[in-house]
Amino acid sequence: MILEAQHIDKYFFQPQKHQVLKDVSLIIEEGELVSIYGESGSGKSTLLYVLSTLDTNFEGDLKIKDKDITLITSPELSDFRNKHIGFVYQFHHLLPDFNVLQNVMLPAMKLSQISKEEIKEEALSLLNEVGMKAFATRSSYKLSGGQQQRVAIARALINNPSLIVADEPTGNLDQKNSEVIFELLKEITERRNKSVVIATHNSKIYQSSHRSIEMIDGVLRL
Amino acid sequence: MSKQVFNKTNIFIAFQYLSARMKQSFLAMIGVMLGVTTFIVMINFMTGVNDFLDDAVFNGSPDIIINASAKKELENISRRTTNLLLDVTKIDNILKGDKNVQSYAHQIISPAILISDAKQFPGSINGVFPAQERNMVDLERRLIKGEGFKSLLEENSILLGVSLAKRLQVEVGDQIEMILPNGKNAALRVAGIFSFGITTIDNVRTYVSAAKLQNLLDQKNGITNVHIKLKDRDDVSLKSYLTENIDGIETEDWKDSNKTIVIGNKVRDILTWSVSLALLLVAGFGIYNILNSTVIQKRKDIAVLKTIGYSSNDVVFIFLVQSIIIGVLGAVFGGLFGYIISYLISTTPLDTSDFIIVDTYPINFKMSYYFLGLSFGILTTVFAGYFPSKKASQVDPVTIIRGI
Ligand SMILES: Nc1ncnc2c1ncn2[C@@H]1O[C@H](COP(=O)(O)OP(=O)(O)O)[C@@H](O)[C@H]1O
Ligand SMILES: [Mg+2]
Repeated sequence: MILEAQHIDKYFFQPQKHQVLKDVSLIIEEGELVSIYGESGSGKSTLLYVLSTLDTNFEGDLKIKDKDITLITSPELSDFRNKHIGFVYQFHHLLPDFNVLQNVMLPAMKLSQISKEEIKEEALSLLNEVGMKAFATRSSYKLSGGQQQRVAIARALINNPSLIVADEPTGNLDQKNSEVIFELLKEITERRNKSVVIATHNSKIYQSSHRSIEMIDGVLRL
Repeated sequence: MSKQVFNKTNIFIAFQYLSARMKQSFLAMIGVMLGVTTFIVMINFMTGVNDFLDDAVFNGSPDIIINASAKKELENISRRTTNLLLDVTKIDNILKGDKNVQSYAHQIISPAILISDAKQFPGSINGVFPAQERNMVDLERRLIKGEGFKSLLEENSILLGVSLAKRLQVEVGDQIEMILPNGKNAALRVAGIFSFGITTIDNVRTYVSAAKLQNLLDQKNGITNVHIKLKDRDDVSLKSYLTENIDGIETEDWKDSNKTIVIGNKVRDILTWSVSLALLLVAGFGIYNILNSTVIQKRKDIAVLKTIGYSSNDVVFIFLVQSIIIGVLGAVFGGLFGYIISYLISTTPLDTSDFIIVDTYPINFKMSYYFLGLSFGILTTVFAGYFPSKKASQVDPVTIIRGI
């Protein structure tokens, strides 16, 4: 078991108090690819931010890798995220002042468990796997959406995290590209036996996930 | 555990952001540089002038001067050409007993007309006792040609201020004639020419032996002035003590005689600090602006950095380092340029003004000013960089990523 969420409630107070996550419980096993689908506004992103430790302002229990997230303080939470969680966003969010290779290296440079040379090697081999090695020294903002998402996948994997969180990773791509990127993500995480949780609109994606759960108005329909 | 924020990775990221905004960063650095340069040049120059004036004026003139008061003069005018002090022994006793007195000297001062082969000028003749006067004025350091006070042991010697010597068109070794108010005259040999660098002194001051002058004026042991050097110049309480305890004297302290210089020094100090601080403030504001706009532009990047594991402290450091780099580079180059410009000024020939006589501009080269200027520059940038950096660290990744 990689992740265990129990009875998560989440409220927003703007414009008035309203509950966005309602008693959400979810367990994700090692190597499992879980997708969460549902209408826009149902609370998928909000849940993902909670599960990925970015949003700590919730009620309920959250354990990742047997660690109780609700007990960790802020700077340690950063380190925890750095080591254990990889992100892929809808909008590609590469850093435009860094080239492709540097973007992939950044999480590992933060972790700094191996030398910069080793990080570079690791990053290049990941870029090779996502088919972007030839673009290593390009500026990241000059790439197409699909290319950027490939680089983002490589970046999410560089620290060998336990959990990959992807919020509509293909939401900004055309149908054909969407399938390619999803297949790439699935293949690369299966090969490494990583757990993945994806929020998506795309029926192709939730149909080919190991498990898919619908979210309706803040409630997970298990 | 959270690792040290001071690490190669964070510095690498900071450099990357700096070089992505090369032009702005460069301009910010120039701003700091100008501030520090100006500070150093101004403080070198202003304190150079201050020290020069202090040195010339305060070492050239005593801290307290005692002479006979004008009232006495009226009574005695028929009998005396000079205005003698009556109670010299009493004055001496007070001075010997005062802890703040460093040294004092007697003088007999008289107006006279000096005549050379070419010209004649009225002047004020200081009859001094070489053994005493040596402790009051470091004339050796001021000599341009010839000898100092020791030449006055030879009774027919006279020492002249450089401007006066020029006007009389005399050199060391030449003869001049001195005519005193009582009609007596004497032929004197120019034994030395000195310069204090202050026109008011160099134009009029002469030294002869007191004994010689007393003889010529028929005033055996007559003294017109007592000059006092204090240990602590700022404590002039002795002055009022003297006037209260001795009749018939007038006293003047350095503050009275050098009001314009004291005020001038203050004005120069204020000018130096206000201009430099204003420039540094502007430079600091430049840095603040650049970092602030970077932080606003880069909110998305900051959010991403946070999601991939960079902590708030890392983000503060990454942005603060940028301003520190700008600040340190600006300050170091500012120090360098400050030195170069100061050096150039110090070698620039200066036309002698009405007031001071020097060959080049007086410049103070003190290490501490560089230390001060550099610290100011760096402090300004750190201060200016802190607030945008803090703001950057407070970016909430969820809000930013959601808001795209
Ligand atoms: N910062 C916020 N303040 C107030 N309401 C919010 C905020 N963020 C999201 N919401 C609301 O929470 C609900 C769930 O949003 P979200 O998780 O983005 O849904 P989804 O990702 O499924 O489209 C929506 O009604 C949205 O308006
Ligand atoms: Mg969403």
